[in-house]
Amino acid sequence: MLPFIVHFKSGMPVYEQVLLAVKRAVTAGRLVPGDKFPSVRILSQELRINPNTAHKVISALVEAGLLRVQPGIGTIVGQTRAVTAEQRQQLLEQEVERLVVEARMISLGLEELLTAVRRAWSQLAREQK
Amino acid sequence: MSGVIETSGLGKSFAKKNAVNELNLNVPEGSIFAFLGPNGSGKTTTIKMVMNIIEPTVGTATVLGVKSSNLSSKEFAQIGYVSENQEIPEWMTVRRLVNYCKPYYPTWDEAFCDTLLKQFQLPLDQPLKSLSRGMKMKATLASSLAYRPRLLVLDEPFSGLDVLVRDEFIRGVLELSEQEHWTVFVSSHDIDEVERLADWVGMMKDGELQLCEPVSSLQARFRKIEAVVPAGTQAPTECPDSWLLVEQIGHRLSFVDSQYQDRETESRLKAQLPSCEQIDSSPMSLRDIFLTLARTYRL
Repeated sequence: MLPFIVHFKSGMPVYEQVLLAVKRAVTAGRLVPGDKFPSVRILSQELRINPNTAHKVISALVEAGLLRVQPGIGTIVGQTRAVTAEQRQQLLEQEVERLVVEARMISLGLEELLTAVRRAWSQLAREQK
Repeated sequence: MSGVIETSGLGKSFAKKNAVNELNLNVPEGSIFAFLGPNGSGKTTTIKMVMNIIEPTVGTATVLGVKSSNLSSKEFAQIGYVSENQEIPEWMTVRRLVNYCKPYYPTWDEAFCDTLLKQFQLPLDQPLKSLSRGMKMKATLASSLAYRPRLLVLDEPFSGLDVLVRDEFIRGVLELSEQEHWTVFVSSHDIDEVERLADWVGMMKDGELQLCEPVSSLQARFRKIEAVVPAGTQAPTECPDSWLLVEQIGHRLSFVDSQYQDRETESRLKAQLPSCEQIDSSPMSLRDIFLTLARTYRL
């Protein structure tokens, strides 16, 4: 069993979907600092993904500081770092803009979008409890 | 590095019709190579030539460094082969099949074989002919994985299998990645079957290889571009060849750039169409890339 769930959907690269699922588990508190993270082999076999993709996911998480390499054990979930002003800025500007563009492309109204954002927000909060 | 499977100018014609034409294929070691293409595009013919089941009309193929026509039991002991239309001794039980195969393979791993048989939930004492298609495929796969082949060749292994069996099958194939040398060459007409598995793809159309490259490089060069344009704007007329499926519906312009370069594509679009705004580029899944190519080349 993996400590996070991936619902594979078409349209997004496999690598990004797994990455998102792990970040989701971390923000929801299902993965906490010190938790052992599955190896490339387990990740590949449990998710039925290419071992090289699994390797790429783990390297990216290590690079992002979400995982730490513990010699002899493998990788463990690292301390969540203080978020830099730059990261906040990036989320607020780029990611939000992207979401708004996508929403307008399919003619979603602002209220509809805000409702969906609130729903996703409280969903994560519920999982945290 | 030389490939586990290599072909050079490989071709086969049946009654003057070219089934496979001048194929230059290279399957690198350690890859899960998806050999894609519609039914009748020459995939099975290629695999049969590679495996020395049929003789090529022209060209050569090598497997594990040995010319296909010279393949001997030494090489076959390191190759697993599972095909959708393989003949199996239907009268044997699963146990009998396994015991029958074992002596041919010096690297046969008894414990691994037991694990696979359990994992696949195969009824050991029933004759193969009484089993479902999925069960038969799993029995063939178990007897092809048990000696930990360096190369596993799968010809349309998933067609006709239900989702659960397919999932078990893939789980079994991934067991190979635990060993030092392994390569999987899998043909399929359905991208959904292999999307999460493949890290190399080859695409066939009418007996010709249209494309052969790592998934990572495909995903680096393909981007879906979307932009907002004022209503009534003329769609760009002189698009670079790399822009595929250019489409404009109302305010929305979209296309796929198959040679994407950060910022360059955006500024090129801006130059063509100064009034466009909110240019957005997003990475694509292997499935979407495949569908784009299929629509462009009418695969």
